[in-house]
Amino acid sequence: MKYLHYIYRNARRNPVRSVLTIASTAVTLFLMMILVSFFNINSEVAEGFEKYNRLIIMNSEGFAGMVPISRVREIAAKPGIVAVTPFSWYGGKYGEEEMPFAQFGVDPTTIFSIYDELTVPPDQLKAFINDKAGCVIGRKLAEDRGWKIGDPLPLKGQIYSFDLNLTIRAIYDGPPDRDLRMCMFNWEYLDEGLKKGVSSAESGNAGIIVLKAADGDRLVSLSREIDDEYRNTDKPTRTQTEEAFTKMFGEMMRDLQWLITAIGMAVVFSLVVVAGNAMAMALRERTTEVAILKAIGFNRSLILNLVLAEAVLVAGLGGLIGSFGCKFLCDVVDISKYSAGTLPFFYVSWRTATLGLLVSLLIGLLSGSIPAMAAARRSVIQGLRKVV
Amino acid sequence: MIPIKYNTRNLRVRWVTTTLTVVGTAMIVWSSCLIFSLVEGLQHSMSVSGDPLDLIVLRKGSTNEVNGGFAKDTADAILTLGGIARGEQGMPLAAEELVYIAVVERNDGTHTNAIIRGVSPASPALRPKFEIPEGQGRYFTPGRGECIVSHNVSKRFKGAKIGGVIRVGEKQAYRVVGLFTSNGSAAESEIWVDINDLTRDIGRVGNISCVQLRANSAEDRAQLQKTIENDVRFKLSALEEQDFFAKQTATSDFLKVAGTLIAVLLTIGAMFAAANTMYAAVGARTREIGTLRALGFSRFDILISFLGESILLCLIGGAIGLLATIPLNSLSFGMSNFNNFSESTVTLRAGPLVMAVAMSMTLAMGLFGGLFPALRAVRMDVIKALREL
Repeated sequence: MKYLHYIYRNARRNPVRSVLTIASTAVTLFLMMILVSFFNINSEVAEGFEKYNRLIIMNSEGFAGMVPISRVREIAAKPGIVAVTPFSWYGGKYGEEEMPFAQFGVDPTTIFSIYDELTVPPDQLKAFINDKAGCVIGRKLAEDRGWKIGDPLPLKGQIYSFDLNLTIRAIYDGPPDRDLRMCMFNWEYLDEGLKKGVSSAESGNAGIIVLKAADGDRLVSLSREIDDEYRNTDKPTRTQTEEAFTKMFGEMMRDLQWLITAIGMAVVFSLVVVAGNAMAMALRERTTEVAILKAIGFNRSLILNLVLAEAVLVAGLGGLIGSFGCKFLCDVVDISKYSAGTLPFFYVSWRTATLGLLVSLLIGLLSGSIPAMAAARRSVIQGLRKVV
Repeated sequence: MIPIKYNTRNLRVRWVTTTLTVVGTAMIVWSSCLIFSLVEGLQHSMSVSGDPLDLIVLRKGSTNEVNGGFAKDTADAILTLGGIARGEQGMPLAAEELVYIAVVERNDGTHTNAIIRGVSPASPALRPKFEIPEGQGRYFTPGRGECIVSHNVSKRFKGAKIGGVIRVGEKQAYRVVGLFTSNGSAAESEIWVDINDLTRDIGRVGNISCVQLRANSAEDRAQLQKTIENDVRFKLSALEEQDFFAKQTATSDFLKVAGTLIAVLLTIGAMFAAANTMYAAVGARTREIGTLRALGFSRFDILISFLGESILLCLIGGAIGLLATIPLNSLSFGMSNFNNFSESTVTLRAGPLVMAVAMSMTLAMGLFGGLFPALRAVRMDVIKALREL
């Protein structure tokens, strides 16, 4: 403990060098936090879904396949189910904007009992249920665009040949790790329009079906039951827990994840090299001093530890600033707003930030090891003789 | 001017520091180049996919093959229009196609959405340099549940080898009989099946996603476009293929933003590292700088010399980083396509864009990293510098 002051003074001796090392570690870890979070958010959110007891039923061939709407009723009749809704991706244009935000056709009467972590004022919900051409939008979507209740929201069909002339009837809110930029409308409004239109063949498709079970233990048997029931129809289903369903999206990005991991490793390695370089430069200047320390009785392992501690201090400080700075910045500024709909929300979790700090400590340890060993090993005579 | 040899020799004398800095910069340049070669590969596949004489006919208002579709009868009428180019044996170069996205298993057991395209006899001729190379099997025979896959897809999906069986969803399976290439175009992400087989298997008989066709000339193309868009029989949208592909940028835009963020932040990080090395270089050479000034070199000479050294240092790193991306060229990657949630295969490509990125990163690092240390060298007082130990 008594050496702490010495280590600290040593780190401050060449302030420009230490600040530069700290800055380069901080900037790089800041970047790593963003990259790691980008991939972690998906699985973190997915894990959080477990307690909501929800199942997602899709066509076994994927999203493009159809799930007949009649199955919503059939499934709702099963025991142990709280509520069921169709959840149909509309993917329409708003003005000339393609895919401006997610739009889903749902059952207004059940959607908020299934997603019960989302809140909507009762009078607004009533207005949404009563207006077939009404819709409910997320708080962040309303804030981004300055939309209010009663505003019209026309959407042009891209997948479906029916345009929606929606009116905003309700605004929902929810926890920060939920998509608060969705637009949900009455599924029947879309289906009736399709039935009247030229392509009535498109009608009757629930897209996917979401259900909430009363009891989490029922989920496995329930999903098997549903898939077995439809296995021999022309539209077999694949039923997954919401957790597995969400993770599937992460799986789609797997190769990109591989690439980002490769980049992350390269960056950590280059930080080790860069910080090690700085440390080596610092010790080269102090060769005589280290020799004197040894001459007055400091042993090798103490010298080794002193140097390592200094390296860890510098890198750790950079890591602290980079990773926790990134976390707090993301908490204050809503980055997802600038992602043009690619990210519904963005945050850096405590877990990720702590990981960043640990990585920086490791960088410090690795970068300090070679200069520290060299300093510990050099003989007193050699060190004293060297002219810097 | 101070001869450049002064700098190169200096870098050599301080070889440990030089090597470490070079390795650091090289890794950083390499990482950014990696992501930009993905962007470039994506852009390349989009740019070779479109032929200037080709039109792609979609349902009105649709900008994407997967969204909706229209009746086969309407498509049949399009095939009879005048002005369509003819291929071998007088076959019109126009193809009805059905695009279907389905869950397919990857080699490692995970699942992804792949594009299954039901094609017509004219489809291959409408793709750039479509061929099934010698020894890579043959084209499929309709009606036998056969398919062909691109050589890229064959490396990635389970059963996608010749003689293997690709399972699509739970009910369909197609036997692979050939591996095709198509000059790195968008087709190389796809599995091709006969359109009649596919429509029957998935219960979409009488429905197609798009018609691809090639016009005889630019005038014919304009004429065809007008007919298909305005004639009461059709009322469809006919997009020029090049425009169509140019618009499929959602994924590459996203990657470009991500890549720029990565490159900029890493460059800043590397700038600090370069500055560190250069500060040390300046610090260790205080007396030398004093001597140089005493010999009559101007402050400007000193500035240029140290900036030059810093740029040289980073250039070596940048060059190594760029060279290290070359072995990864032609590595194929599965990228989620944000237009239709399917997986497209992208081949990494280090071309002009990647070189420009590497170049600007290195210059920025060298210039800004070297600037402050060089200024410190410039500001030194000659007498004091000479007196320094």
